[in-house]
Order: sequence, then structure tokens, then C-alpha cells
Amino acid sequence: MGRPIRIMAGVTWPSLVWLDLLSSHLRGFHMLDRQSQDLAAFDHQLISRTANGDRRAFEQIVSRHATAVFRLAKVVTGDAAAAEDVMQKTFLAAYRSASTCGSDASVRTWLLAIARNTAQQLQAKQGREVPAEEPLLNLGLDAGWGSGDPETIAIAAAHKDNLDKALSTLCAEDQEVLILRDMEGLRGSEAAEVVGLGEQAFNTRLHRARLRLAGALRGAPPLDGVVQEGGA
Amino acid sequence: MQDRLIGGVRCSEVLAHLSDYVDADLDAATTERVENHLLGCPNCEHFGKNFGSMVASLRNESNTPEAIQADAISRMLSQIYQLGADS
Ligand SMILES: [Zn+2]
Repeated sequence: MGRPIRIMAGVTWPSLVWLDLLSSHLRGFHMLDRQSQDLAAFDHQLISRTANGDRRAFEQIVSRHATAVFRLAKVVTGDAAAAEDVMQKTFLAAYRSASTCGSDASVRTWLLAIARNTAQQLQAKQGREVPAEEPLLNLGLDAGWGSGDPETIAIAAAHKDNLDKALSTLCAEDQEVLILRDMEGLRGSEAAEVVGLGEQAFNTRLHRARLRLAGALRGAPPLDGVVQEGGA
Repeated sequence: MQDRLIGGVRCSEVLAHLSDYVDADLDAATTERVENHLLGCPNCEHFGKNFGSMVASLRNESNTPEAIQADAISRMLSQIYQLGADS
């Protein structure tokens, strides 16, 4: 029962403490990693066929990545119509310069980096909001660290509507790191590359964004019509 | 909230390392110290577990794509093919 279970190379998890977390890791992270290797190789095939003028291959690239591109563009621009514009510019650029996509980066990382640059150029006049540097301890306290009720964040996060609502209250800088690393499942190094940060700086921003998300989930009143099951 | 020293690490350090722990980005020695702290500190264990399951929920959200209208995609494709041919 107490035997540690090995999930990833070099890391053991105590089965007693993190049981439910562990099963999500097994389902999510681990599979995601293996899948993404196969998919990344297939993406590179599709992109070289696109470079040779194969429209079917290009359309597969679009259908595989349009959601990710649109989601990131919408967060950066804050507007669905602008996000569609960014999406079109991104895929046009990809179509025209498919031959320049290097084999080192994943196609998804390459596309998302184009999308983010394009979206930022659109936003350049308005300037970017930068989250205030609050002490980590305060972010933790807001998130329920040491409060005795941190289960409220896990319960709230289990409902998609709550999660979307809490996400939308965060600034664009926070939302984009959560989208790239958690929702799109990019590796830390890839997500950092898209945002133009070193991996360590990216991880720091990610941790703060997650704590702010937890704070938003904890502070949000339960949605109408959603029955939250208590311990009774 | 007391900043307690358990397993050779303070609560505040565990809070700072929590995302790296959840992402399995910590080196083996730090992972072990964090886990020893979690085993001996109900506060951090309770928070860490729920924080971790919030991250897992967020990751599951990737399965529910943002709605893009199907005609928006086909409109986009025909424009790209037009513009692409012009270049
Ligand atoms: Zn502690």
C-alpha cells in the first residue's frame, strides 16, 4: 500500500499521499507525452507535404491545430473576431512558409509562436498588462493555503463552467501560460519558447498563474444550477 | 498559517515548489524533501492535493475544444488559397 509508484524517469510518488492526483497523472500526463511524440512526427510529415503543395495535408494541419491557435489568439487579443483574424494570418504564414518549419521545434510550437507574435502586433498599440508582483505567500493564502478549505478549489475546478469563468477573470499573461502548458499540454521548454521566456522564468509565471486561478476558484460563488456535493 | 520546518523544508518553500512538484520537474533530492514535508504536514498535504487536482482538471479541459464555426474554417481556407496563389 505504501510502496512508491514510479511514473516518470527519476521520480517516485508516495502512493499514500497523492492517490487521486496520481491516477490523473497516469491518465493524463503520461499518455499525453507518448501521444505527443507520435503526433509531432506526423505533423512534420504533413508540413513537408504542405511545402510540396499538398492541400489535403495542409487542411489536416489546420484541423489539428486551429483550436489551439484560436484559443491562444483569443486570450492575447481579448476578442473573438480579432482571434479569427490572427488565426487566418497564422495559417496563411504557415501555408506560405511551410518549408521554413525546422525539425527541432514541434509544428504546434511553431504555429503557436507565429500566432502569439501576430496577436501581439495587433495589440501593440494598446500595450500589455503586466501582473503585479505580489508576494508568493499572499497568492498562496488567497488560494486557500493554510486556510483549511482548499478542497473548494478542487471541487470548483471539476466543473467546466466554474473553471472557464475563473480563467476569464485572470489577466492575459496568466491565461496564456495556463493554456499553453496545461490545456494544450506543451512541454515546459516548448511553452517557454512560445512566450519568449527561459524555462525557469516560465515556470515561475506558471506557478503564480495557477495560484491566482486557485484564488479565483475559491473566491467565486457557486454557479446557479450547479449542485455542489458536500460531505453529508 | 505557521511556517513550520518539517522534513528539512519550510511550508513556504513547499508552497513555492508545488507546481514543479506536480509537473515532476524537481530533482530527486528536492522531491524527497518535499514529500517528507507533505507526509508530516497536514496543511501542506491538504492544499497540495487539492491544488494538484485543480491542475489535473485544467489539463482535462484540453479535451473540450473552443467552438470554432465549421464555416469559419472553410472560409479561412479559401481565402488562404487565394492569397497564397497571389504571392
Ligand atoms: Zn507545511
